[in-house]
Amino acid sequence: MTEPLQWARYHWQRPTGSENRDDHERPYSYSSFLAFRGKSSQTPRLAGKHRVVVPHLQPFKDEYEKFSGTYVNNRIRTTKYTLLNFVPRNLFEQFHRVANLYFLFLAVLNWVPLVEAFQKEITMLPLVAVLTIIAIKDGLEDYRKYKLDKQINNLVTKVYSRKEKKYVDRCWKDVTVGDFIRLSCNEVIPADMVLLFSTDPDGICHIETSSLDGESNLKQRQVVRGYTEQDSEVDPEKFSSRIECESPNNDLNRFRGFLEHSNRERVGLSKENVLLRGCTIRNTEAVMGIVVYAGHETKAMLNNSGPRYKRSNLERRANTDVLCCVLLLVIMCLTGALGHGIWLSRYENIPFFNIPEPDGHVISPVLGGFYMFWTMIILLQVLIPISLYVSIEIVKLGQIYFIQSDVDFYNEKMDSTVQCRALNITEDLGQIQYLFSDKTGTLTENKMVFRRCSVAGFDYCHEENAKRLESYQEAASEDDDSADTPSGSLSNMAKPRAPSCRMVRSGPLGSISSNHLTGSCFALGGGASEVPHSRQAAFSSPIETDVVPDTRLLDKFSQITPQLFTPLDETIPDPPLETLYIIDFFIALAICNTVVVSAPNQPRQKIGLSSLHAMPIKSLEEIKSLFQRLSVRRSNSPSLASGKEPSSGVPNAFVSRLSLFSRMKPASPVEEEISQTSKSPQGSGNSACPIETEKQDSNVDVTNGKVESLPGQPLACSLCYEAESPDEAALVYAARAYQCTLQSRTPEQVMVDFAALGPLTFQVLHILPFDSVRKRMSVVVRHPISNQVVVYTKGADSVIMELLSVASPDGPGLEKQQTMLREKTQQHLDAYTKRGLRTLCVAKRVMSDTEYAEWLRHHFLAETSIDNREELLLESAMRLENKLTLLGATGVEDRLQEGVPESIEALHKAGIKIWMLTGDKQETAVNIAYACKLLEPEDKLFILNTESKNACEMLMDTILKELQKKNPASPEQASSEALHQPPAPPDSGLRAGLIINGRTLEFALQESLQRRFLELAARCHAVVCCRATPLQKSEVVKLVRSHLRVMTLAIGDGANDVSMIQVADVGIGISGQEGMQAVMASDFAISQFKHLSKLLLVHGHWCYTRLSNMILYFFYKNVEHP
Amino acid sequence: MKRKSQDCPSRLPDNSAVKQQQLPAYRLQLSANKILFGFFATGVFCLGVGVILLLSAKTIKEVEINYTEKCANCAKLRENAANFDKECNCSIPFVLPETMKGNVYMYYKLYGFYQNLYRYILSRSNSQLVGTDVKDVRNCAPFKTSHNGIPIAPCGAIANSMFNDTIILSYNLNSSIHIKVPMIRSGITWWTDKYVKFQNPSFQNLSSAFAGTTKPPNWPKPAYELDEEDPGNNGFINDDFIVWMRTAAFPTFKKLYRRLHRIEHFTEGLPAGSYSFNITYNFPVNRFQGEKAVVLSTLTWSGGSSLFLGLAYMVTGAVTWLAFFSMLAVHLRLRERKMFFLQQ
Repeated sequence: MTEPLQWARYHWQRPTGSENRDDHERPYSYSSFLAFRGKSSQTPRLAGKHRVVVPHLQPFKDEYEKFSGTYVNNRIRTTKYTLLNFVPRNLFEQFHRVANLYFLFLAVLNWVPLVEAFQKEITMLPLVAVLTIIAIKDGLEDYRKYKLDKQINNLVTKVYSRKEKKYVDRCWKDVTVGDFIRLSCNEVIPADMVLLFSTDPDGICHIETSSLDGESNLKQRQVVRGYTEQDSEVDPEKFSSRIECESPNNDLNRFRGFLEHSNRERVGLSKENVLLRGCTIRNTEAVMGIVVYAGHETKAMLNNSGPRYKRSNLERRANTDVLCCVLLLVIMCLTGALGHGIWLSRYENIPFFNIPEPDGHVISPVLGGFYMFWTMIILLQVLIPISLYVSIEIVKLGQIYFIQSDVDFYNEKMDSTVQCRALNITEDLGQIQYLFSDKTGTLTENKMVFRRCSVAGFDYCHEENAKRLESYQEAASEDDDSADTPSGSLSNMAKPRAPSCRMVRSGPLGSISSNHLTGSCFALGGGASEVPHSRQAAFSSPIETDVVPDTRLLDKFSQITPQLFTPLDETIPDPPLETLYIIDFFIALAICNTVVVSAPNQPRQKIGLSSLHAMPIKSLEEIKSLFQRLSVRRSNSPSLASGKEPSSGVPNAFVSRLSLFSRMKPASPVEEEISQTSKSPQGSGNSACPIETEKQDSNVDVTNGKVESLPGQPLACSLCYEAESPDEAALVYAARAYQCTLQSRTPEQVMVDFAALGPLTFQVLHILPFDSVRKRMSVVVRHPISNQVVVYTKGADSVIMELLSVASPDGPGLEKQQTMLREKTQQHLDAYTKRGLRTLCVAKRVMSDTEYAEWLRHHFLAETSIDNREELLLESAMRLENKLTLLGATGVEDRLQEGVPESIEALHKAGIKIWMLTGDKQETAVNIAYACKLLEPEDKLFILNTESKNACEMLMDTILKELQKKNPASPEQASSEALHQPPAPPDSGLRAGLIINGRTLEFALQESLQRRFLELAARCHAVVCCRATPLQKSEVVKLVRSHLRVMTLAIGDGANDVSMIQVADVGIGISGQEGMQAVMASDFAISQFKHLSKLLLVHGHWCYTRLSNMILYFFYKNVEHP
Repeated sequence: MKRKSQDCPSRLPDNSAVKQQQLPAYRLQLSANKILFGFFATGVFCLGVGVILLLSAKTIKEVEINYTEKCANCAKLRENAANFDKECNCSIPFVLPETMKGNVYMYYKLYGFYQNLYRYILSRSNSQLVGTDVKDVRNCAPFKTSHNGIPIAPCGAIANSMFNDTIILSYNLNSSIHIKVPMIRSGITWWTDKYVKFQNPSFQNLSSAFAGTTKPPNWPKPAYELDEEDPGNNGFINDDFIVWMRTAAFPTFKKLYRRLHRIEHFTEGLPAGSYSFNITYNFPVNRFQGEKAVVLSTLTWSGGSSLFLGLAYMVTGAVTWLAFFSMLAVHLRLRERKMFFLQQ
């Protein structure tokens, strides 16, 4: 069955561990680079392969001219023509068409007096008309591109100007290599640049690369080493270093170069130091960098291989038919000419009817035959339908008009309909055999939504939340007759209902328009009543952030009082275990992650302590000692805080200390009020935010108004969580809905605002980040109340279940309870999985200090070891993550777009093979494939996941054998020629699905394995390629297209799909949230995946039949009645 | 509905029948039975029409007399262009075994004369023939002008090669009495040719209208003297000239020459008996290895004696039926097999 792996963690990130790794890795890459440089300086072969960048400023003018003068600037031009070369170039392009050339030849031939047949001028007319119409069409298309280029070129960015000694606004097109650019949060990077400064005290800059690779998580980029420590911004005036780096190339994941200071000291540069054009700065107030590649030399532009002129299959067929006609014509004319010559030579005298030349003498039969040949070509030219091409173009324009005016393609939410960007491949839509789809944003909405959870063996189905989601869905497909039903609102949605776990698929709530809903939500959510901009922050659309709590769970929450914990050290009967589980569960949700907390407002300062983290940490020993210090006493000197956040840093540290204090005192009136409100279930859903506001206010009171960084802001409500994966964010938002709000996170501590308990500050002792082997992550914290070392683990159910403690130390009663809990939770998990939810288990383990100290010792040993460090680390993690106590499970939904499973089913039925190519990890991809019915539960899955080419080959062979055995295929399947033949019908025996990951794909795409891979893929019902790079995506499409000789379609929404879209026969862009690059490269742009089925199965079919009938009729008309 | 019309977004396409391609349409659904019926009916129709056409063509009486061989001496004379002014007559007797009832038409028939030759067809000046400009001889090369540069009227190869034999049919009541069969030379052209496409230049006197032009080199007389008997039949509107100018599609063709004037003995048509053609032999055919013949024929509603149309119908009908039967056989077999499968 599926192996649902729940949350993505791509990088080993900031907290504690990251320094170690960076310190380990940086010198390595640096030295290796130096070695490379040393070689290159000796061998002239490599000398031309790098570029030198010096600041584009006055003092370096000579040097700049010398090195960087020839580098292109940032202006881009994607148009084909200019005003001057339009006419010649367009004519040149047009005469690439055989037919046009032929007609030109005929027109010229008619000017030869000996063979002329018609009026000279008249024969020119059709050709001129054809050329003009097409030229106008091309011109308009190009003009549209020109306007877009202009728009992009004229975007404004801040470039340092020496004259004015400050950063001035300048257009993108005027940016040159060597310019210093300063960007603020949420700005798009105009050119590839080396990061020299970030307002982040750690010298980190977060960027969103979704427009490049489609991964919507935030990536970190590092300021160049040596600049991190500087307190103030790098002054471009004083920047005298020069950068040497490799020549422009299209590898997004590689950048090699070094920065040479004036004192000849060199600092290595890697891709971690480079900001790429097209990415967006997130979470960082401002960054500064120097441009190294601009314009067409940027990696983003180089990755966009130029557009391909797409010719439809039908047109190609028509072309061959036209060629046949030409052949026929030549044969006819030759026969005529030969016959003419023979016939003429039969006469001894000149007959009357053989007219002599004007000068009186009669031409010889041979010459007569020769002339007759050309004359006949002119006479029989109608055999080749000149008007065919023009008619096809005009008919296609009409078809496009009809496609665009189809009401069914209209998306109300975005007020957009289908866009046909390529005008000449409409009929190919009806001939698609292979469909390649992106996952994120194409099949799914890329919105993770918390759906259900199971705590302590009780399933909380979050019915109200489900209803809320339903209403979102139905608001999209809103129909008219629902307008008279009473319009719902959040308050009556939250009305308690009989607690049944049945999901209501349809209801009167559908009438709420999405705008209404989001609007009201936000009105409640803290005054920001305007509809949020979709790109405000990653993963923060209201559908994800607003979770309506389950009423039953809220009831249980109301039992939580600080008294539960305060008498902990006394001998009062234990608090109900379930309540403790609930508390632990939500704390785990809130802290067991790597979410970055930020305020969404413009200066996106990180809320939290500026940390020790900023201090350069040299060795593990230091870290260790640091931790030991930390575990003893929390409050460390905040004086280390540097950079721009002194105001937020100091008071927060203060808050944390105060909060330790404040939780000790009995419940404040405010908190009592909260618990009252949360008791009344009706109000709970929508009043969560205001309460938090109040709470925050109370916090502010406590800290004597020292939170000055965000004066007067309802802090809790406007918190933004930016996670590496949307799942994490969804869980944190879910926790927030239960007033367990993650307030701040630093490498050392996490502050959580728990409803009844007040702010809790957890000391983070250790984080074991997620990796795909363990499939779990853990956070080791010191619990502020019990002061115990607690390990919170969350991970895939299969792994966590095995790590649960078998023998509970607290006695057989508890053990039994755990077993029961385990069984119940497993049942719930199975139910969740069946619904296509991404499940996660949450567990904890309480450690004694001695246990922890021992583990830490081992762990450090593992970390410091050089040989098989990975294994040791894994082992160490295993030692920590066992004897766990199960707390509960969660179910998160990566919402599929509306109508996706139905569309996929319809396309499957139509015999279209669907491949999913995604950059996501395997588990997620497979999960989604199941959810969207790409794979059926009864399908047999073959997973290709190997580390070497040989293993890949062997695995492929075994799978093939198995498939052949199970599915005695027709013998022609095996032969290579028959590869393009449709595989065995889907109902014959078993349906197989193939999962292949990026690394294995690389092997499979190699020449020697291609054929086998294709054969394998052709036998499988569905193919899922995960972890595929944009280039691999396009290679896969190319491979299938060229080797199987089938019509392919690629659909995607991000810039990472661009190359795939361009390679496929038909490229479709989804005009969703992820930028416009995919749309720009596509042939058709639709707003939702579900429109694809009508586009292909209705319009494609119509276009194809109509056009082919027309062409057939044209040939009939021309050949039969010349 | 109301709400929708109020805040109807800008890009929502029209929901009209045209734009949504929902106009009522009828698409012929072809079933096997329909097709079989169609083929069968077409076959019946074609065969029926073919039979009728063939029968009616059989009723036509036709006499064709090839006089190439019979007037061999004249032919020989004409081979030499120097003898162009020597007249040569040739009489060909023949016997009509039975009466030709109704209208009788006299044709001349040429074998091997390629009037369809492309450059030959073009060699005429339409603006001259329609009377707008007598001196317009643009496309007529090399029969444009005479040696001394005077434009030829009518110019061009077609006009120059006009058939110029004179054929007179006489009825031999007995060995001594020879009656010249009355023939009408008018009404043998298409109406549009006579009154639209061919017009004399508008001058009072025809000869002055042709002033400044010369006759085609092969013609003995200028165009305005083609018909000495009927002055209205001269110039470009001469019936024989018009008939000749309408070029034939095949190298073997017959062109209408005269039609019987049904008076006196000939009110019923041509009575059976002995006749003779008196031919003034002018048109040389040996040069292009051709032959000449004269044809007497009656007509029916379906045209002349040609069997082509009838045969074409017969063949089409036969092929259609063949297709019908083969498709029927395939259909029946398939249905049988389907039944077989269904029974299983």
